[in-house]
Amino acid sequence: MLALRLLWRNWRSGEVKILAFSLLMAVAIVSGIGVFTDRLENALIKESNSFLGADRIVRGSKPFDPAWHLDADKAGVEHAEVTSFSSMVFAGDDMHLAAVKAVTPGYPLVGNLVVSDVPFSTNVAEQRVAANIPPEGEAWVDSRLLPLLGVKLGDTVFVGEHSLQITRVVISEPDRGDGFSLFGARLLMNAADLPATEVIQPGSRVSYQWLLAAPDAQLKPFLADLELKLTEHQRVVDLESAQRGLSKTLGTGQRFLMLAGVIGVLLAGVAIAISSQRFAARHVDQVALLKSLGAGAWRIRSLYAAQLFLLALFASGAGLVVGELLQRAVAILASQMFNIELALGGAEPYFIGVLTGFVCLLFFALPPLWHLPVVPPLKVLRRDMPVEPLRNGLQALLGVSAVLCLIWIYSGDLRLTGSVSAGLGVIVGLALLGAGVLLNIGRKLAAKKGHIWRLALASLDRRRGQSLVQILVFATAFMLLLTLSTVRTSLIDEWRFQLPEDAPNHFLVNIAPWQVAPIQTLAENNELEISALYPMVRGRIQQINQAEPENKRSEAWRREVNLSWATELPKDNKITDGVWWDQWSPSVPNEWGVSVEKGIAEDLQLNIGDQISFSLGGLELNARVASIRSLNWDSMRPNFYFLFSPGALDGYSPMYLTSLFLPPEKKLFINDLLHEQPTIVVVEMDKVIAQIRTIVERVSAGVEGVLWMVLASGLLVLFAAVNASMDSRMQEAGLLRALGSRRKLILGSVAVEFASLGLFAGVLAVIGTEVLLLGLQAWVFNIPVQPHYELWLLGPLLGAALVGGLGVYSCRKVVTVAPGLVLRELA
Amino acid sequence: MIKAHHVSKEVRSAEGKLVILNEVSLSLDKGQSLAITGASGSGKSTLLGLLAGLDLPSSGSITLDGDEITAMDEEGRAAVRARSVGFVFQSFQLLPGLSALENVMMPLELHGVAGARDKAQMFLERVGLAERLQHYPKQLSGGEQQRVAIARAFASEPAILFADEPTGNLDTVTGSKIIDLLFDLNREQGTTLVLVTHEERLASLCECRMQLEAGKVLLTEECA
Repeated sequence: MLALRLLWRNWRSGEVKILAFSLLMAVAIVSGIGVFTDRLENALIKESNSFLGADRIVRGSKPFDPAWHLDADKAGVEHAEVTSFSSMVFAGDDMHLAAVKAVTPGYPLVGNLVVSDVPFSTNVAEQRVAANIPPEGEAWVDSRLLPLLGVKLGDTVFVGEHSLQITRVVISEPDRGDGFSLFGARLLMNAADLPATEVIQPGSRVSYQWLLAAPDAQLKPFLADLELKLTEHQRVVDLESAQRGLSKTLGTGQRFLMLAGVIGVLLAGVAIAISSQRFAARHVDQVALLKSLGAGAWRIRSLYAAQLFLLALFASGAGLVVGELLQRAVAILASQMFNIELALGGAEPYFIGVLTGFVCLLFFALPPLWHLPVVPPLKVLRRDMPVEPLRNGLQALLGVSAVLCLIWIYSGDLRLTGSVSAGLGVIVGLALLGAGVLLNIGRKLAAKKGHIWRLALASLDRRRGQSLVQILVFATAFMLLLTLSTVRTSLIDEWRFQLPEDAPNHFLVNIAPWQVAPIQTLAENNELEISALYPMVRGRIQQINQAEPENKRSEAWRREVNLSWATELPKDNKITDGVWWDQWSPSVPNEWGVSVEKGIAEDLQLNIGDQISFSLGGLELNARVASIRSLNWDSMRPNFYFLFSPGALDGYSPMYLTSLFLPPEKKLFINDLLHEQPTIVVVEMDKVIAQIRTIVERVSAGVEGVLWMVLASGLLVLFAAVNASMDSRMQEAGLLRALGSRRKLILGSVAVEFASLGLFAGVLAVIGTEVLLLGLQAWVFNIPVQPHYELWLLGPLLGAALVGGLGVYSCRKVVTVAPGLVLRELA
Repeated sequence: MIKAHHVSKEVRSAEGKLVILNEVSLSLDKGQSLAITGASGSGKSTLLGLLAGLDLPSSGSITLDGDEITAMDEEGRAAVRARSVGFVFQSFQLLPGLSALENVMMPLELHGVAGARDKAQMFLERVGLAERLQHYPKQLSGGEQQRVAIARAFASEPAILFADEPTGNLDTVTGSKIIDLLFDLNREQGTTLVLVTHEERLASLCECRMQLEAGKVLLTEECA
């Protein structure tokens, strides 16, 4: 209880306040960011899983065993089935090869099926989320199917032998982006009507999907059991395998949030370390007195340990409350600005928040206090007796261990931990070397200036050790903040760049050579721009190195793949192994080369020099692997797994593929095109792109919110660091004031002193930021590395303004209060 | 109550070994008072620190209230200080963040004394600060601060009170009042008193005197 009383008294006297506030902010920021990130992640996972219409999908080319349904029910896993196929839909004399999707009740398990009674509706008020699937005997269709078949809502169409009444139009389906395999306008029907259509016959090309949804705890064990029962034609699909591009964006966003959290922890840790130093310095006399009154070293240690423990407890509790309020405020703001509905977060971030508080206190606050119990009691008689604090090196070592430990706990990501730690190490070394040089330059420059400058720079030089530490702290804080805001800007730009407003959103496939010119004319008449045309031949892999492997699990063995050729390496493609055609030469005359996409090369275990035999409409084509390529699946440009050397596919009557951007108001161009060129297949990606954009916008919004939270903790560090040296500066200023110095001289010299510190720190911070960014961009975020010229101006200026301003603010009392009082308080 | 036998204190400095105290011996019975006088740097504060167990001599032995503190470790000496010793310092040594009342309560709470608040209040009333209980040190005058320090020292009812220049930071009139208060309380509680001073009136009130010069005993006046 004595510890509690001491803590309360210390609190009242203000010494504990900054320490408690730093701790509170550490816990608040870590738990706030953690919970917010968690909620955001859950929301994004939910949102992204809606791309599947489920949490997981089992995909196959044969119907699923009905017994599995019972297993799923038992395991508490929701499920629904989707059967997709292409089929002619008739209405009188009109027909269209539609993408038919027959669904069972419950579809979609995740995400919304949006329908309307108004064809081509763009007005949200006319649209609604479908509560059920189409009733038996009814079909819901893409708006554009209506003019294609010359029908309206309420009319009847035929799918195979069965008639269905069109009752609604489909505005959006969550799983629209799931694969390119089905082209044509959508017709959504009830699976119960399927047998009556008699469309599915032995040998029909049908895709069966079993949609599953449940919390991970139920889903994972169920899937583990299920995997054992799957045939080679069935596999489980998650977002990662279904939407690689989106999954990458989400991953990068998550890594950013983690980095932000790590930086938040570091900043808060530094603030705690600084305020603990001050707390310890102010408590030396108190400890000496307690010892003279008969308190032994262990008593002192236990009294202070108990105070720290209680402080951690209270500050963590308050920190959790503040963090909760903070994250709720950011969440509300984000949901208002960006229309994000955040899911609930788990309890783990709160736990990590409190853990951070205790670890910070243990490693950052305890070392400066460690020497207190060994303060000699004789110090009550001899106040000038030196006290040996724990060696700075050891303190730094403890701090660094804590930092590593916290980053690891927080991120669980070795590369991020390594990058940030290595970056920080380099920066600290640079700062320690560079700050001394900067101080010397400053002093020399000041000698030629007025007395305010001389006074200020002399003061910095006199406190050389303290100034170095302060510059280091300011530089670290600025570096972390500049890094975070730059990474955020690069990421958001990168994401926006990936999907510019006019990114192609429709693919035209199966274009015969003689159709190229008429299509281009039609596009020009509609003021549309058609991108480059890519030749394409469909083929199947037969053998690799004259042999068929035992395991044919790879998709590439089972279905036809699109083959193409190119003279130039397509944009966004990178050769990771082997060489492109300009450097490649066949090992035997007339041999063709093929460049293989990296993922499929790994799947098929292909190496440079391997020979692949393709079957192209019954004709055999052999080619040798000349290179392996990585490519950007997010680009929405046509991408090919296999690119041949020029001329290889000349004899195989290629068809062409192209893409174009179609604004919503020109959507009916597709109908005109299909009327004129009915054999062309149109792949509509506009709805998928809109969904991806929504997710990217939401990740960006989250990133913004977190950035502001971290900036707040950066300010806290600056405040704590400025305040740490205030006592001696106040004393000097009070003395100068007592000797009759004017307000302008005192505040001027304080401003110059702190602005110089900020300026030096800003310069070092920019160097540090560039180094850290180099590592982060290259190894963690995989975004292009580039210099950031704006930082070189912004860093030093912002540093000088912020630190100078905070210095003057903290020191203002000395010119408003009678000097006697200031000196007496600090005596 | 206090026995010092051939106590010496040496320190190492850049110039070599420096003798601060040289072979000092003394003996003081319960309730007696001793004034240690001497010029600045004569070693009187060092002797006070050694007698109170705040520091260890280089040689010699000191017995305090029956315990040979020179044979103990710091924890043992702390226990003796807790049980038997009180202090009054020249610079008052009040904790700035605590009120007058809390400053007096501090040693009582540290030793787990029941009714610390009442007792502290009683002693503050005794030193004439009944109206100043909730004042902080910076709101009190020098004399008032030293009264708080005296109340704090006597509140834990020590067997021995060590006072280091208790009037050193006070003007003559205030110092005089503090001296009277110190001796009144000393008489009331029968405390053994050791004080360091260079003030003649204060020294003359003590039963025994020891004058130091350059670490050596120049003059000892046997206890009256």
